[in-house]
Amino acid sequence: MVIGGTQQTPRDNLSLELRRGALVLAVLVELRHEEYGYSLKKLLSDKGLEIDEGTLYPLLRRLESQGMLKSAWRVEDGRPRRYYQASVQGEKLAKELAAEWRALAGVIGKLIG
Amino acid sequence: MDLINRYAHEVGQYLPHRLRADVEAELRSLLTDSVEEKALLGGVPAGDELAAKVLREFGTPKDVAARYAPEPQYLIGPRLYPAYVTSVKVMLPILAAIFLALVAAGRFRHAGEPPSVAPFFRATGSFLWSALENLGIMTLVFALVERAIRHREAAGKTWDPSALPPVNDPDRISYFGRIFALYVIAALALLFNFFPDWVAVYVFRNSDASVYPLLTPGFARYMPLINAWWVLAFVLNLAVLREGRRTRPTRWAEFGLEVFSAVILLLVVIGPPVFRYDVLIKIVLQWFLVFSAIKACVLLYRLLRRRPVEPWARP
Repeated sequence: MVIGGTQQTPRDNLSLELRRGALVLAVLVELRHEEYGYSLKKLLSDKGLEIDEGTLYPLLRRLESQGMLKSAWRVEDGRPRRYYQASVQGEKLAKELAAEWRALAGVIGKLIG
Repeated sequence: MDLINRYAHEVGQYLPHRLRADVEAELRSLLTDSVEEKALLGGVPAGDELAAKVLREFGTPKDVAARYAPEPQYLIGPRLYPAYVTSVKVMLPILAAIFLALVAAGRFRHAGEPPSVAPFFRATGSFLWSALENLGIMTLVFALVERAIRHREAAGKTWDPSALPPVNDPDRISYFGRIFALYVIAALALLFNFFPDWVAVYVFRNSDASVYPLLTPGFARYMPLINAWWVLAFVLNLAVLREGRRTRPTRWAEFGLEVFSAVILLLVVIGPPVFRYDVLIKIVLQWFLVFSAIKACVLLYRLLRRRPVEPWARP
């Protein structure tokens, strides 16, 4: 599953819209532990969720500005990296979104049959 | 990697200054990680060739900056743009008509002189300058209103369906009319404060143009009052635009402002001569005074006969 990237056809746009909502939930869940941008991308990729980098990194900044994530710069392997982690507010939101996701998946599952 | 540095810098150029250094540093770090990882997996050197491939996938600096931008980056948004276009379409023909009338008046007054195209070219040049200046003022006014409305919406009032106005809402405003009024106030304030000599009668002759300023130095005594009126009128229009409709307080403010304008007109009319053609101009101002007094009475009457709180008014 790929989220983000260059989308052209109406089908691609609708598909992107469908997946975009899930991205925030996936990021908040994975950031229960501290990660930096690229390590988070790899983590999600290893679990089957491919995210376009140009979509993921601005999203991290946006969630941070909304108070859902906290971040700190640290030097590791001689390179400065910005580490992100879900804030208390972000963890609370992740739980609420997860509950909504399960309920929605159940309903849509029944509808699809 | 030089290419990544250049890319991060280029993205930064499209971002607000306060975000720039931080986003650039993060992009450098993230992109270097990405390139090194791909080099390791592909067994190729982590040089500019691979960096170019990663950057191509990442997107153009402009697109990436747009994703990082915290708020819309435009001067005039989609809601005000139609009013902006209409304002420009109204303003330009009015200016053109004024300049054509001035040229025609010059030809009529000096009908006996040999024909020349010089006044026409001079008037065209003046028109183009004037059009650019007025376009600038109008764009600034619209940008100001755009910011005011955006900040209000960002404050996020809870929407209440019962506060929906009726179909024939007497408090509904015309965005075009209000913003055009702001533009006129700004243009007049600039004209009277910084170029009072331009408030004049212009006569274009074949050889040159004669300018007869209408204001004498004595007019300056009224400028503090007139400036105060312009500031209040500007703020009031901006406040009404922020609200999106008239409210009871803004209606009272409109009444107060109308009384204020009547007072200023009265002071000018009964005061000492301050215009070049004082008698003629004061006859015109007397008509304005009568109109202003009647308007103030109408505004007061409407205020007093309306219910203090309309059922659809916001709490």
